[in-house]
Amino acid sequence: MPNKTYRRQRAGRTLVVLAGLLALASIAILTWNVTQEIEAQSTAQSDNVQWALSQTEVEFQEFNSRLRVGVNPAAVRQRFDVFYSRITTIRQAKVFEVLRADEAFEASLSQIETFLSDAVQLVDVDDIELTRNLPLLSGIAQDARPDVRGLSNAGLNLFAQQADAQRQTVTRTMTQLALALVALITALGLGVAYLVRLNGQISQREREQVQAATRINTIMNTSLDGVIVSDAKGRITGFNSAAEQIFGHIGQNVMGREIGKVIIPDHMVDAHNAGMERMRQGGEKRVVGKGRVQLEAKHADGSTFPVELAIQSATTDEGEIFIAFLRDVSQRVADELELIEARDKAIAGEKSRSDFLATMSHEIRTPLNGLLGNMSLLRDTPLSAKQDTFLRNMETSGRLLMSHVSDVLDIARYDSGKVSVRFEPLNISALLQDIVDNQSGMAAAQDTTLDWGWDGPAQHWINGDSERLQHILMNLIGNAVKFTKNGRVSITASWQDNQLHFVVEDTGIGIAPDLLERIFDDFTTGDTSYDRDVSGTGLGLGIVRRFVEALDGNITVESTQEDGSTFLVEVPATVAEPAAQETTVDAISLVGAPKRVLIVEDNEINRFVVRNMLIADGHDVTEAFDGQQGVDRAHGEKFDLILMDISMPVMDGRAATAKIRSGNGASAKTRIVALTANALANEQADFLANGMDAVLTKPLTKSALRAVMSGEAVVQNADQTQLLDIPHLTETRETVGADNFTPLLAKFDTELTAVSQWLSPGADLDEIAAFAHKTAGSASLFGATAVKKAFLSLEDSAKAGDKDSVDAMRPFVLGVCQDTRDALTQAVLINPA
Amino acid sequence: MFTRVFAFASAAVVALVMAGAARADDVPPPNGDVILTVTGTVQSSDEALNREFDYESLSALGLDRIDTSTIWTDGVQTFEGVSLKSFIDSLGIEDGTLFATAINDYTVEIPVSDAVENGPIIAFVMNGERMTVRDKGPLWIIYPYDASSSYRTEVIYSRSIWQLDRIEVVE
Repeated sequence: MPNKTYRRQRAGRTLVVLAGLLALASIAILTWNVTQEIEAQSTAQSDNVQWALSQTEVEFQEFNSRLRVGVNPAAVRQRFDVFYSRITTIRQAKVFEVLRADEAFEASLSQIETFLSDAVQLVDVDDIELTRNLPLLSGIAQDARPDVRGLSNAGLNLFAQQADAQRQTVTRTMTQLALALVALITALGLGVAYLVRLNGQISQREREQVQAATRINTIMNTSLDGVIVSDAKGRITGFNSAAEQIFGHIGQNVMGREIGKVIIPDHMVDAHNAGMERMRQGGEKRVVGKGRVQLEAKHADGSTFPVELAIQSATTDEGEIFIAFLRDVSQRVADELELIEARDKAIAGEKSRSDFLATMSHEIRTPLNGLLGNMSLLRDTPLSAKQDTFLRNMETSGRLLMSHVSDVLDIARYDSGKVSVRFEPLNISALLQDIVDNQSGMAAAQDTTLDWGWDGPAQHWINGDSERLQHILMNLIGNAVKFTKNGRVSITASWQDNQLHFVVEDTGIGIAPDLLERIFDDFTTGDTSYDRDVSGTGLGLGIVRRFVEALDGNITVESTQEDGSTFLVEVPATVAEPAAQETTVDAISLVGAPKRVLIVEDNEINRFVVRNMLIADGHDVTEAFDGQQGVDRAHGEKFDLILMDISMPVMDGRAATAKIRSGNGASAKTRIVALTANALANEQADFLANGMDAVLTKPLTKSALRAVMSGEAVVQNADQTQLLDIPHLTETRETVGADNFTPLLAKFDTELTAVSQWLSPGADLDEIAAFAHKTAGSASLFGATAVKKAFLSLEDSAKAGDKDSVDAMRPFVLGVCQDTRDALTQAVLINPA
Repeated sequence: MFTRVFAFASAAVVALVMAGAARADDVPPPNGDVILTVTGTVQSSDEALNREFDYESLSALGLDRIDTSTIWTDGVQTFEGVSLKSFIDSLGIEDGTLFATAINDYTVEIPVSDAVENGPIIAFVMNGERMTVRDKGPLWIIYPYDASSSYRTEVIYSRSIWQLDRIEVVE
């Protein structure tokens, strides 16, 4: 549209210019015409020709009247001469040229000239003869009279015609003049009309501009954001009221001042000037046109505060201008800080809550272990039937209490982010069968049938976290059995697309719709009035949900009250090779040869329980009350086994183990088994890394204790250090991804094979140091703890130039390498990627 | 009456001063035929004018020449005579009007202001010959028409009286 308007304007302008030129041309032509007319008038070249003609007749009469007797001949001659002169003039004068061209006039003139030439004969004589010639002269004069008259008449006619022609010329000229004037006036009129229109347009545009300016001013002054406009040199040309409020300046006072000196904090002025200079040079614009930017600004009182701003540039007639929209974000920034602080506090609070729960659970479990342990011992003593019943009740309550405490501990640990998932091959069928077996007694007591089966082809072996899966299934099945009387609980497992599905279906009391929505929330319990026996902490399903989530799975529930409930669990898993047949079951029941055992445990009851279990199996027991005491005892006496509690005063189990291992005491190489209530996988791995050989979880059972006691052969092979840190290995695999893991592992295997080459006798020590360092790095990645340790001491020796030491270490290092390779092969076999 | 006559012939007015301007008192009475009679009164001296001129006495006032075309003749003519300025000066007149009358009693009024240097002359010789009455003589007031367009007007043409024989001075 502006283009079109522009074209129209140009056309209009051309029109006006043309009209003007036309008018000028007309004026020029008219001026020339008029000048000519004036010239013609002012330089009249003619005498009064008509008068001269009529004078001819008068002069002829004058002459004629003298032609009578008695007249003075001189007078006759004079009058003749005058007439003669007149005729000569008519013959010669240019003014009579036109007349002479007329035939009648010319004829008359010739006749008169003939008369004159005749008369001259009679006049140019002496007075006497002239007097005598008078009658004759009068006679021919009389004859010439009509000619003189004719001359006059012919002249008059001609002049009448000429006058006519003249009048017509004048009329024509006047008409042309009039037309030219009309044209001129029309052109002027058009010009005026166009100018009026143009003026109207300009006025309209001015009005629009004023309106636009008013609008923009209104917008600017209504804007809640500060608006500052500056020219290319950074001088302020606009400062709205919001900006006044934000910066505490008065608009009029800052107009024309440099923006850098008004609102830029002192420490940013240099950067600002550099930026302006860069833009003037046509360089990069780092803030302009880059959207919202948060910067610091300076208030009139000198304080600085955060602003959010957007700057845009525009090109105007006066050059480039910058328009900045600014907003004081002090409050927002303060709010954000406050929010972050609040969040940090909340997280800290949450953590301390979890820590508190974990600690409390631990503190509750310790005495509970004591109770249960003592009950276990009590069962080995002669009991009456009544006592046996009481003891069973106590054991039931104790285990229930223990499970509740474990629930709370699980949740606390999960929520504090301490739960890690450990994948290992497991037999799902066996797992389900165990649980069903476990629950069948309870089910039978409720007259409920309990069964399980595969839907579709069975997938017995998968890689999964058996502990979690067991917990999940036990909980769901236990619940189903608990809430079903005279009904049926059936569990269906299925395997599809690397997903394990469990459907736990019951025909129990069902779940109320309002409860269904929050069934997986913590502390959600059903109507306990239904059966006193059916009670719980309301944490069970909450833990299930957390564990399912930890396994990247999904759990849903459908239920109809009075009809029953169906829980569906889906967890991703991978297919695993069946593990070697376990033969430990028999070993557990065996009581090995008597051994010398050191118990390091601060809790007297626990110590008592363990001591009695061991003594019952015929072992020799020594006790220590804390870590330091344990270290001292281990130093002075060689034990076959040390049972080490973790949490102890003075010196904890880890430190004590490290001290025993590092010292040269009698029991420095004795097998140390951790005794802990901390059942978490990664914590157990830590213990092993500390130099412990196995972990026994409290509450301690006789069978578990016997298994540890009988594991002597393994102990001897494991020597001082664990070969592989399995959790670390697992973590590495998860971190790099299964696809990357296998080639990396192959590479590490090659590195281990290559050791015999660079560690050959006579090899360069610096080279050994370099290789040892490199291989130690790889070893640490795969949790190959023993080999890493060996390489690090090898590196130390090689660097120290201790050739003897290196030579002495060679067989050991090569042995550890081989052991590690074997262990890795085994670990990967049972944990295929 | 607009008769367009363009006279582009170059005109030359050559003033030939043949004798110094003479005073009226010095002019001798005419011996030959009288060709011009001047009457009137000179106001400044309150002296009645009554003077007669013959060719000799007119020539004594100094001769001027004008080469010009006229509307009454064909081509450029050479006129010789006394300049009107010299003539007026010789009469001691400073302003007023000259009533010039021809033989046939035709009279025109010529303002004294017309008498200027290089202005009109009272011609009596045309193309080297004395003009007779038949040639519009004996005297003809000739303006230098070709010299200026201001001399090519009706008024000037009407003042160009020929066959002049009397002048009455009215101041």
